[in-house]
Amino acid sequence: MPSLLSLTDVHTFIGQFHILEGVSFDVPAGSIVALLGRNGAGKTTTLKTILGLTPPRQGRVVFDGQQIQGRRSFDIAAMGIGFVPEHRAIFRDLSVLENLRIAERRPGDFARKEELIFGLFPDLKRLIKLSGANLSGGQQQMLAVARALVPDNRLLLIDEPSEGLAPVIIEQLIAAIRQLSAQTTVVLVEQNFLVASQLAETYVIIEEGRSIHHGLMADLAKDRNMIQRYLGAA
Amino acid sequence: MLDSLRKNRTRIITLSVLAVLFFTAIQGMETRDWAITVLRGLSVGAITFLVASGLSLIFGLMDVLNLAHGELFMIGAYVGWTVYVRPDTFVDLLPPVLLLAAGLLLEPVWDALLAGWAPSRTVARGWPWAAVATGVALLAVTFARWPVAIWNPDLFAESPGSYALALDQGRLAIPPAAVFQGLSPALAMASTLLGGALFGLALAGLQRWRRGAPAGRLPWRRRLLVVLLTIVAVLVWSQNNLLTAYLFLMPSTGRFFLAMGVATVVGFILGGLIEMTLIRPLYDRPIYQIMLTLGLSFIGIEVVRTIWGRPEFTMPKAAFFNGTGPGCPATSLSDLLTFNCSTILLFDGRIRTYNEVFIILVGLIVLVAIWLLLQRTRLGMIIRAGVQDGEMVEALGINVRRVFTLVFALGVALAALGGVLAAPSIGLATEMGTRLLLLALIALAIGGLTSFPGAAAGAVLVGLLQQFIIKYGQIGINLPFLAEPFKPSPPLVPASTVLLMVIILLVLPHGLFGRKE
Repeated sequence: MPSLLSLTDVHTFIGQFHILEGVSFDVPAGSIVALLGRNGAGKTTTLKTILGLTPPRQGRVVFDGQQIQGRRSFDIAAMGIGFVPEHRAIFRDLSVLENLRIAERRPGDFARKEELIFGLFPDLKRLIKLSGANLSGGQQQMLAVARALVPDNRLLLIDEPSEGLAPVIIEQLIAAIRQLSAQTTVVLVEQNFLVASQLAETYVIIEEGRSIHHGLMADLAKDRNMIQRYLGAA
Repeated sequence: MLDSLRKNRTRIITLSVLAVLFFTAIQGMETRDWAITVLRGLSVGAITFLVASGLSLIFGLMDVLNLAHGELFMIGAYVGWTVYVRPDTFVDLLPPVLLLAAGLLLEPVWDALLAGWAPSRTVARGWPWAAVATGVALLAVTFARWPVAIWNPDLFAESPGSYALALDQGRLAIPPAAVFQGLSPALAMASTLLGGALFGLALAGLQRWRRGAPAGRLPWRRRLLVVLLTIVAVLVWSQNNLLTAYLFLMPSTGRFFLAMGVATVVGFILGGLIEMTLIRPLYDRPIYQIMLTLGLSFIGIEVVRTIWGRPEFTMPKAAFFNGTGPGCPATSLSDLLTFNCSTILLFDGRIRTYNEVFIILVGLIVLVAIWLLLQRTRLGMIIRAGVQDGEMVEALGINVRRVFTLVFALGVALAALGGVLAAPSIGLATEMGTRLLLLALIALAIGGLTSFPGAAAGAVLVGLLQQFIIKYGQIGINLPFLAEPFKPSPPLVPASTVLLMVIILLVLPHGLFGRKE
């Protein structure tokens, strides 16, 4: 399968700190890839590096056959990459509708996707007039995913979707992300191994800024030893 | 509902206390006095708001505290004065400015032409500065010979102040038009265009080594705009005398509105240029930004002194606000419109049409316009989102930097509009900006630094407080246990606004409408 995104020996600095010290992996088109690893291993920085929010100092990032490292974030995003950040980054001063509208890249994007979005997250429909500041954590997470769906994105970068959410809502999100993966490719950062293993087909383990392991999720799920060693949890 | 009441308890109590204070202050005066004082307060508030709103938008969106904002307000006043009192200078300056702009606009064309070129690092860093140096040299030679009436030493005998006086008394003679000496007009215009183009080339080059080579696209609309601007420049130059005469003879009201428009546009362009060339490289270094804008404010004052000279001068009010007919002071709207009265009768007192009605009206229009822009347009949506989280807006595929430039330009345009609006009522002086900047900063601290309603509320509060203290300084306050009424002395006027700020910040550390970051 051709890869939609590939990173080759990516090094990223934040200030003077060498955060990524060699990350390489491929994301086949149409798949869900989970980035696993302990807190502070560099998973979030990897997503931000792909988007150019923390540009890499060295290495190559290729999206859809084009090198994108060094381009500006809005250019990269406009190529068709959606971002669901760790703390959701819902705009407090905007209503739910405006939070969705702002993600339009062409006029009418939202109208085209309305059915899909409300199909996945029926709750959002009745919240549409509410301001972003008044949403619960779960509602914010759904809105953050929905926002990434408004334009035609070919790749979604989702950071810690299950963090701090109730189990019922996590179930709902898993169902939604699975349904999405029929149309788009997903790179998922997830601390909760149960969630990651239910969604992803392949995994990449990042440890101290390096990608040290990758393979099929089904194999990893059987390897208790490895899970214990790199993720510190079962 | 109850929940939000509880959350905003301190704010509600503070606002109630302010309201009680306001009504107490009113009680101590006759109807006529307090009505006039309130209107004067709103007028000062409107001018303060025009400066404060720009400051607040700029600070909220890009965390830049623009200390040069007051000087841009002042420059707006001087530009407006020039268009109003000396339109010949405006007509003289229009062609070179248009040509420079046309040259600068060639930047994306250069970008496209340079797309395939990849010089070594040293060359890439060096050549844009070489282009800047060549451009500056070329323009220095050209502009020294460009004829501008106000720069003509013979006419300096007539100071800007006396021109204003002559205009006010209706005995202003049209000054003779300046002509090129020792330089052919075609050559001068070509070299100005070339100078602008060199700056555009430098801009394209600098951006290339900052963020890599962009994709080469040839923007046809830009080229068309460049050609259009050049044609307009040549037309204005060739019809200089006709235009000058037209502007001098047109009704002063029309010329005043033209002055307001030109000052706003000049502010917009100046703001855009400042952001693109000076502020943009410093977004990651906040301390340097503050030093830069502080430095800019000093440079602004000196530039204005160099061009317009030191003495303070006045800007006559336009005829529409300065009439004295049999129906004046106006008691009805029809009186006002028939005789263009300079004053209006209100509760047996007189208020000035320009100061206490027109300025407030413009302030209100701007308030509503910006509010609509923020709430109803996509740009406004992006600004509101960017105030909270610019990185996320960028991650959605939106070019936030372009919005930064636009907002900075808009903020400066509002300040410049404030300047030209204030000029007829407070007069022109190079220090006018510094004073107002302080007032605007106090207003922002009171209202909440990044809140737009806060900027409006803070500005109005500061204006009202000032004017009430001034009025009570005249009539005195009857305080218990004091034989004589207490009269606040003039130094208490600025002190009172600072005191209000201190009290409000002690109670509400983020201002009346501010939010915790």
